[in-house]
Amino acid sequence: MFSLYKKEIQSFFYSPFAYVLSALFMLIFGFAFVNKIASMQTSVLQFSFPDMFYNNFFYFIFIIPLLTMRSFADERRGGTEVQLLTSPLTITQIVLAKFFAIVTVFLFMLLLSLFFPIYVALHGTVIWSSLICGYASFFLWGLVCIALGMLFSSMQSSPIIAAIIGEIVMEGFLFLDQFAATKMVQSYPHLNSVVTWFSMQRRFVFFAQGMFRLEDLVFFLSLTALVLFWNVLYIEKRRWNHR
Amino acid sequence: MVEIKNLTKHYGKVTAVNDLSFEIRDNEILGFLGPNGAGKSTTMNIIAGYLPTSSGTVNVCGHDIKEDARAAKRCIGYLPEIPPLYPDMRVEEYLRYCAGIKGIRGGEVKKEVEKVMKRLQLTDMRRRLIANLSKGYKQRVGLAQAILGDPELLILDEPTVGLDPTQVAELRKFIKTLGKDHSVILSSHILSEISAVCDRVVIISKGELRAVDTIENLERKMSGSPILSLTVEGEQLAASFVLGEVKGIKEIQDIIENDDGTSVFKIQLEDEKVRQDIMAALVEGGINVVEMSMERPDLEKVFLELTGKKK
Repeated sequence: MFSLYKKEIQSFFYSPFAYVLSALFMLIFGFAFVNKIASMQTSVLQFSFPDMFYNNFFYFIFIIPLLTMRSFADERRGGTEVQLLTSPLTITQIVLAKFFAIVTVFLFMLLLSLFFPIYVALHGTVIWSSLICGYASFFLWGLVCIALGMLFSSMQSSPIIAAIIGEIVMEGFLFLDQFAATKMVQSYPHLNSVVTWFSMQRRFVFFAQGMFRLEDLVFFLSLTALVLFWNVLYIEKRRWNHR
Repeated sequence: MVEIKNLTKHYGKVTAVNDLSFEIRDNEILGFLGPNGAGKSTTMNIIAGYLPTSSGTVNVCGHDIKEDARAAKRCIGYLPEIPPLYPDMRVEEYLRYCAGIKGIRGGEVKKEVEKVMKRLQLTDMRRRLIANLSKGYKQRVGLAQAILGDPELLILDEPTVGLDPTQVAELRKFIKTLGKDHSVILSSHILSEISAVCDRVVIISKGELRAVDTIENLERKMSGSPILSLTVEGEQLAASFVLGEVKGIKEIQDIIENDDGTSVFKIQLEDEKVRQDIMAALVEGGINVVEMSMERPDLEKVFLELTGKKK
């Protein structure tokens, strides 16, 4: 399993892929940062990073599918899927190895973004509790997105289509917030409670306040596990339906 | 080594493989022969554990491929029709990765990769990107990943397709050496390849088993009585007269007269031994023999007959 993980990591870092995406990520983050500074009311360099994180999600969901799009689609196209599935590795191991590899690249990006809080800390004050919770929320939401992106990649043999579907679905996830706020949904309390439970904004409010709730942790982790499990089942199912 | 019982595979309503049963013995090279679309690749994918069966069992080295897939897969080296290569990896790096996913232990990986690279003469290519290799080398790298870890069973799906004649000859020689200490299944639609390399042949057509036997047996079964091709010089009539006296000749099938004054007789014999009597009679009758040879129906005829395509 470690060999597969290593190969995946290498495929990101031996090619310009990881660097280009990290650069894009930093660019987005940088714009948001500059924007925030420009619109500051006080002269003290102190602001809430979680706010920035939440605004970034909209851009960010364009980056995650680019990371995940090749994970399974490329294996299918190159004929290397046969090798993986005839190796002694189980499908669960394959999915997990690929997942952790992408998570590692994602962590690398987050590490780069630490530049901004460090910069703020040098010239002003950083509210550490909300910063840490902001990063935690970003990371957890990232896990869900990666799992989803991988699922679509294993459903498609074209990476581009996998990426586009991933973007649409993740976008949909974020729009649940707006959807939950509509009159129509609010007039059905049961529907409303379900939609709100899945909506992200509600959870980010707590993170932004520097609160790390067990409920949210469980929500994100279980959602990730569920999607990964779905992926395992999907690959297994495709073996049966293979033509 | 491998036991396949009543293997059936449906793709939706299409039956790709129907009730296939045969076995692969220890240290033999089994040829897997059939026209395109006969179900060769499907069967190989099933044996390798890539595709599940619709019904029937496949047992590899005592492990059921369905129940005990991991143990069974450890005994198998598989080279699919398209070699499973990553173009952006280097040869050595790729082989190390393959050794890793095959479960070869950390300390052994280096040794094993070196051994395989040496065996397939890839050592000079170790730093090359796979994308930049020629087709022949790519195939070699594909074969290298299959034999990594010395699996007991090797499944090679049309390994010589797209190679030049020298490479084909080299690869065949290599497969023959593999057959000494491995069981090998080699699929091909090239008959000469199968008869040059394999000990036994499985012929399938439209997903159904047509024959499992050694090449000699298959040829013998199909040929019926042996046919002698005899070229003589001089009068046709005189030769016919002499031949008429020999016992054990079933039938003179054909007489072809050549421009250079020789004639070719196609004689069906009751037994191959009659040949000596014919020779003696011809010498006694003073007839000049230019050439004498036994004709065997080659594998191609057997193949066409069994797969239902008459020439």
